[in-house]
Amino acid sequence: MRPEHWLYTIPLRLRSLFRRESVEEQLDEELRDHLELTTAAYVARGMTREEAHRRARLELDGFEQTKEKCRETRQVRVVETILQDIRFAFRVLRKSSAFTLLAIFALALGVGASSVMFSAVDSILLRPLAYRDADRLVVILNHGNGPVSPANFIDYRAQSKSFESMGAAEYWTPDLTGVDRPSKLWALHISADILPLLGIQPMLGRVFVSEEDQAGHEFEVVLSYALWQRQFGGNPSVLGRQMSLDGHSYTIVGVMPAEFKFAPFWATRAELFAPLALGARTTSRGGNRLRIFARLAPGVSLESARAELATITARLEQQYPGTNKDARIVPLKEKVVGNIRATLLTMQFAVAFVLLIACANVAHMLLARGAARTGEVALRSALGAGRARLLQQFLTESLMLALAGGGLGLLFAAAGIRALVLFRPADIPRVDGISLDWRVTLFTLGVSIATGIAFGVAPARQASRLDPVDALKEGGRSGESTRKNRTRSVLVVTEFALALILLIGAGLMLRTLRALQAIDPGFEPHNLLTMVVSTAASPISAASKSAGASGISGVPGPERSEAFYRETAERVRAIPGVVSAGFTNHLPLAGDLWGYPFWIEGRQAPMPGEEPDAAYRLALPGYFKTMGMQLLRGRTIEERDTATTELVAVINEYMARRYWPNEDPVGKHFAFDNPATAGAEKAKWITVVGVVKNAVRSDWAEPPEEEVFLPYSQNHGVGAYLTLVVRTAGDPGVVGQAIESAIWGVDRDVTISEVQPMEAVVARANSQARFSAALLAAFAIVALLMSAVGIYGVMAYAVARRRQEIGVRMALGASRGDVLSGVLRQGMAMALAGTVIGVVGGLILSRLMGTLLYGVKASDPLTFAGAAGLLTIVALTACYVPARAATRVDPMTALRYE
Amino acid sequence: MSKPSDLVQGTLDMLLLKILALEPLNGFAVSQRLKQVSGDVLQVSDGSLYPALHKLEQEGWITAEWKTSEAGRRAKYYSLTRLGRRHLEKEAESWSRLSSAISRVIKLKEV
Repeated sequence: MRPEHWLYTIPLRLRSLFRRESVEEQLDEELRDHLELTTAAYVARGMTREEAHRRARLELDGFEQTKEKCRETRQVRVVETILQDIRFAFRVLRKSSAFTLLAIFALALGVGASSVMFSAVDSILLRPLAYRDADRLVVILNHGNGPVSPANFIDYRAQSKSFESMGAAEYWTPDLTGVDRPSKLWALHISADILPLLGIQPMLGRVFVSEEDQAGHEFEVVLSYALWQRQFGGNPSVLGRQMSLDGHSYTIVGVMPAEFKFAPFWATRAELFAPLALGARTTSRGGNRLRIFARLAPGVSLESARAELATITARLEQQYPGTNKDARIVPLKEKVVGNIRATLLTMQFAVAFVLLIACANVAHMLLARGAARTGEVALRSALGAGRARLLQQFLTESLMLALAGGGLGLLFAAAGIRALVLFRPADIPRVDGISLDWRVTLFTLGVSIATGIAFGVAPARQASRLDPVDALKEGGRSGESTRKNRTRSVLVVTEFALALILLIGAGLMLRTLRALQAIDPGFEPHNLLTMVVSTAASPISAASKSAGASGISGVPGPERSEAFYRETAERVRAIPGVVSAGFTNHLPLAGDLWGYPFWIEGRQAPMPGEEPDAAYRLALPGYFKTMGMQLLRGRTIEERDTATTELVAVINEYMARRYWPNEDPVGKHFAFDNPATAGAEKAKWITVVGVVKNAVRSDWAEPPEEEVFLPYSQNHGVGAYLTLVVRTAGDPGVVGQAIESAIWGVDRDVTISEVQPMEAVVARANSQARFSAALLAAFAIVALLMSAVGIYGVMAYAVARRRQEIGVRMALGASRGDVLSGVLRQGMAMALAGTVIGVVGGLILSRLMGTLLYGVKASDPLTFAGAAGLLTIVALTACYVPARAATRVDPMTALRYE
Repeated sequence: MSKPSDLVQGTLDMLLLKILALEPLNGFAVSQRLKQVSGDVLQVSDGSLYPALHKLEQEGWITAEWKTSEAGRRAKYYSLTRLGRRHLEKEAESWSRLSSAISRVIKLKEV
């Protein structure tokens, strides 16, 4: 019976859904009909027509109400009402389109920006590293933040029990030859434990056999996925093939999967892994070049591991003084994201503020509009709309607004993420992994919907509590509780405070940026092209394999390599468009940085471990001129400095001032050997021949330290590559090809890599600061605009409401000026409150920003005053327009206005 | 006359169905007939009558048709459907069971 029943009723219900109009007409007619009949019956009994009619109506319990009740019996009512509400909401929203668009846009901005920012923070800061149990991985460092020596690594590994396994990695940049275009690769020498420690299985082949069985396996490599694709086209039969690295033949034994990236900091570009093969270096406690990665044993805490390491290093320090200072264990994750935390957290705050401002804006826009519609609500409830029905309608309206805003916000978010990945600063890690986090999106959507609902439904709730008669009488402008007014004022004050905080943050960042850009690098970065030229794979280096001075392979025979570099420099200088050319070992800011301790002749030797350190630079003649470095005293390195002449060096201003404060350093001596151990006569004393102005070394904003420049001719044995710097007459890129041809013209087997203009290097050094400043400034401007709109809306509404009152006042003799100042005072009071709160908040935020700032104090009064001033001007403008409109009110019209 | 008793909704439905079972009527006539047949004991307020009729129509127990009456005016006439008839039988049966059960209890002699 039931299915039959349904079958019958469905057409009925559909009809009432789709043929609503005729159904309505019929209902009307039916009831009217009934009234007629009842009236006629009473008339027949002797009543007058009016009385009969009245009686009939009374019996019907209200015409409209009964109709509504009949309508409610129709089961499709719910769907019907929803459709009706949607249609109505559409009409309402379209009528006040300015409001609608503003509200949607504000919401979209808040939702979009927050989604992007929180997704970024989540993927960079919160997501675990892509290794097995990455929380248990740590990095061991020496001398604070620095690398560790091989002997220390061996001892730490042998003597500690806190770690399940420990391995070391060393940076390696081999030359790949035997291919069409020889190039330098980024690679790591890793101990056999490293890959198993990280817990990622190779995609093809195997990883390295354990340390003990190293013999015969030193010349194996494991490729990264990217290198495999790029160099071998993803060919699966790559295992067993040979690669020529630094002139040596290496066998490919494995390929890592696509998601694998190591190391996550410091050597982030490594795409090739070879065994560490320490060999004779296992006893070296000096050359600090290893980074140690370890996995904590199960159940061992970081603190106990640290305590154990402290004991071990204390013991080692006793045995070998000066070699084990300040050893630290840092969780791997911390090392990766540590220095970016401040930026991201600041951004998070900024975005949260923007979201709050957006919600506040929408909130009081809805409140203002809701108050204006009290009349409408009262009328509708008088006509029979139940409270639930009213709430439902307002809810629909708010939901549509919130969903539209949220939907648009999602689009903004998707675009924002794409933009972020495209324009990211180079040194922000893990940016590629940023994707729209659905949790974040849901959250922000939820926030916007909640705001829409909370403030959109308020008028319905409020109005239904009123006596409809009063509400209708005053033309819909009663019901203005002081509580609602206060809510609105609080909202505006909050918006202002938040906007001010953002302005302060942006101001501080902008000043930081200015200060950073004003730093004099000590050289002239414009029109300067740089590239790394390596002879590791060419016959030049083969010549000295047997005469090798150290365990580093590929060290060139001294005369041959020097001749090569000199010849190359000559040929490059001859190219049209080239002004000058020179060579150094490492480029400031971009290259590696070597430091060595030094001793000054005739001075008391410092305590072991306390020796001063100098940055170690090599240079060929012409380097200083090409870089545009300023010579302060003496001379630079010249042709006359050869392998057979006196050992000389050029020092920087800082070193001169520090160690020879009141004398001319030119002619004085220092050495890189400890005269106490080497014997005062055997020590290779170096004579200072010149002083140059301080130049940046590895970080743009770091304070100056000691730096020493030595002639390449007198100091070969430290590597098979030099960095070429070329000053060009015009755009550096133009002569790039010609330079490369010139170099290969001298020797076909050298590799050229990292070709880049110095300006790009400098720009990259500042990229994080620039990124933060730009983002903060953008947010601040958006926040300012939205708050301005907010206060404008509130003031305009208040003025419109008090039109009558203003009219009365003016009719009674108040001048335009009085009215104007009255309105302005109200608005500025709110702005003032917002400013006070904002300044306090700004102080807190700037404290948080601490490490981001440079050259400006966290409580810089100029920035604070400027931001507050800007905000005040904006507030004044936003108040002024409605205030002026208030004075234009014609008293007569205002008095009559109902 | 005595005050009309309050009618439970389900009972009202049953009464309306029964009245319409006798002959198709419009709303006004239904209310008159009910008063008439029950001797003025049962009276439905017009405000409750029409919603009830509409609900019965939605349930599919009665169906409506617009007819021109003798006086030449259009009126909406309700009549019972087959489904409605079956429902009515069911309801009437359970009503008589209920009422005889109540009567039995009430008629118990007090001692």
